[in-house]
Amino acid sequence: MSATEIRGRFDTASFDEDDSDVVVIVGSGPGGGTLAHELCERGIRCVVLEAGPHLTAEDYVQDEWEAFNQMAWLDPRTTSGSFRLAKDFPNLPAWTVKAVGGTATHWAGATPRFKAHEFRTASTYGEVDGATLLDWPISLEDLEPYYDRAEEKMGVTHKNGRPPLPANNNFKVMGNGAAELGYRHIATGPYATNSVPYDGRPATVQDGFNFQGDKQESKWSPLVSELPKAALTGNLDLRAGSHVVQITHDARGRADGVLYLDEDGGLHRQKARAVCVAGNAIETARLLLLSDSPLFPDGLANSSGQVGRNYMRHLTASVYGTFDREVHMYRGETMAGVVADESRHDTDRGFAGGYYMQLISLGVPFMAAFVDPGGWGPDFTRIMDGYASTAGMWLVGEDMPQATNRVTLDGGMTDAHGLPVPHVHFDDHPNDVAMREHAWTQGTKVYEAVGATNVKRTPPYPSTHNIGTCRMSARPEDGVVDEWGRAHDVPNLFVSDGSQFTTGAAANPTLTIVALGIRQAEHIAAEIGRGAL
Amino acid sequence: MATTESTAGATSLTSPASRTLLKDVARAMFPHPSFPDAPYEHAVGTILAAAEADVRLRAQLEQGLRDVDVVGGAPFAELDDAARLDVLRSIEGTAFFEHVRTRLVTGLYDQAPVWDLLGYQGPCPDGDGYLKRGFADLDWLPDPQVEDPHRDEIVR
Ligand SMILES: Cc1cc2nc3c(=O)[nH]c(=O)nc-3n(C[C@H](O)[C@H](O)[C@H](O)COP(=O)(O)OP(=O)(O)OC[C@H]3O[C@@H](n4cnc5c(N)ncnc54)[C@H](O)[C@@H]3O)c2cc1C
Repeated sequence: MSATEIRGRFDTASFDEDDSDVVVIVGSGPGGGTLAHELCERGIRCVVLEAGPHLTAEDYVQDEWEAFNQMAWLDPRTTSGSFRLAKDFPNLPAWTVKAVGGTATHWAGATPRFKAHEFRTASTYGEVDGATLLDWPISLEDLEPYYDRAEEKMGVTHKNGRPPLPANNNFKVMGNGAAELGYRHIATGPYATNSVPYDGRPATVQDGFNFQGDKQESKWSPLVSELPKAALTGNLDLRAGSHVVQITHDARGRADGVLYLDEDGGLHRQKARAVCVAGNAIETARLLLLSDSPLFPDGLANSSGQVGRNYMRHLTASVYGTFDREVHMYRGETMAGVVADESRHDTDRGFAGGYYMQLISLGVPFMAAFVDPGGWGPDFTRIMDGYASTAGMWLVGEDMPQATNRVTLDGGMTDAHGLPVPHVHFDDHPNDVAMREHAWTQGTKVYEAVGATNVKRTPPYPSTHNIGTCRMSARPEDGVVDEWGRAHDVPNLFVSDGSQFTTGAAANPTLTIVALGIRQAEHIAAEIGRGAL
Repeated sequence: MATTESTAGATSLTSPASRTLLKDVARAMFPHPSFPDAPYEHAVGTILAAAEADVRLRAQLEQGLRDVDVVGGAPFAELDDAARLDVLRSIEGTAFFEHVRTRLVTGLYDQAPVWDLLGYQGPCPDGDGYLKRGFADLDWLPDPQVEDPHRDEIVR
């Protein structure tokens, strides 16, 4: 049977908990799933521990709140800082998923690459007050071959002859408004959902609900691609419902396994030759901090004090335009549209870095919850009454890394397992504020250019992009991991998700997470090959 | 031997009068002139059901609904729309107000009849998606480009 026939429905091998030959990977999202697949193909046996359940397309529901409650990571988190989320959604700073496939079960599919200068922000932007800009230890050139391979894996449209997705109604509005304004870089992708059948998966039937899972399986995710392919090698042991609570180490300070809880609360120890953490920035930092010990009193791999710092979440904001004609923005792929003109670095606009305008739509339930948090009364209901005639765009751009924007362990609150919950502190940087203001203004102009009667500036949703908490650095004192994602302090501990990002770039993170995953797998396989791991 | 009757059903919350009052509050808070009463009544039902299991919510509702009838100088039911809005403005930010608002914003808009009223088609149960259900039927604007011929220009 081929991987594409089984897609999400697969069983895996089962390895011994005392087998210290396996590589343990924490998390089965784009970071962990890609790494597992690439290692398994190279004959390296992997145990993937995933806190969430193994759900498949049949389980998904096209209903916003039901789907959210089915799969979102709902363990409590706490917040502080000047960012609006601390007020609007104090216990939901981020929207991530707890399920096999990770947050890519709920992702949309926008896949721009980073630009060359976005790997060199300290050199390019210069000194920005209060920002901890740092050049990546790798360049775009280093990553380009891996971007190529990531795009093939994910079937990204507009690349390598794959056709673009068609324009839906929502895109017609944004695309025309942008063209009226003189923008030129307007397209329906790159987007990691099939416009034509690809890799054994069907073309999209445009049923929307990208944020609720994908019943048709035309959208790439580890669940329908990397994991079943890894399973077929016989080298994957995927354990759903397994929450890792600590990474353990030997007398020399090398990682030697993990402790995890099964669904019934039973504590297990899995031995490992190497441990790779891909729990998504907040949980990855939390797990390293929870792995403190007499040898590593400030948390594992944290001699620099950088674990949890420089947490980034991208600019994010939205604009919704209401018209006197119908739009029905929710029909079709949720985010298949981009205007890239403002993604450039051009300080004449009053800020460093750039941002993209991307399509977005919310159904009525989420529109009510997110369009104007805290809103009520006639101003609010006017927006809702205009729902069918509303178009939406999302604004995603580079936010400044700051040492004090930080994930720590909450001293006062524990989760259902009794573990300290993560606390997320975030202050907007003045550069973020200036960029958001600019983006709101330009987004408003886009819709006004095609006759909007009312435009709403919407503040950030709970963060879907969570990055930077274990940044890559050339020098050990500046960050947590090296150019391969290997911890500076622990030679067989890797970080395999967006936590590695030294800085955030304007682009959505997942393509880069996958590209880094392929690159890291090659490195780990080579290290194992020469007996160093 | 004396027995204590359960008083759960005897408090004023479940009385028709408080249901109606809460519905009037819901309508004033989220005024959609085109909506019939039914969606508001449904939303009120979800709040009252939640209050069964949440003593803090229940207590807040008990007292809050009594207050709503006095802060406007007359029972809420006797006020016109503008005066009702003033009452809500004057209590905005109180725990009672927030309990009601946050639950209404989900309870009211998370129901299929409201989706119909607002022109949202919701799920595609037949598996055919929106391809045949108006996916690209907007005809008051021309078709925009879907590919960027100048993509390689944005290097910086
Ligand atoms: C609504 C939405 C839309 C999005 N759209 C886009 C988009 O268009 N483009 C884009 O690039 N990105 C998008 N994203 C972001 C994208 O989903 C993430 O970048 C991506 O999933 C991150 O991959 P990851 O592997 O690092 O983490 P995740 O995908 O979050 O996977 C981490 C996994 O680790 C598990 N885990 C965590 N801690 C533990 C533990 N202690 N033990 C065991 N398991 C653990 C979690 O349960 C989870 O399954 C979107 C996200 C959302 C929510």
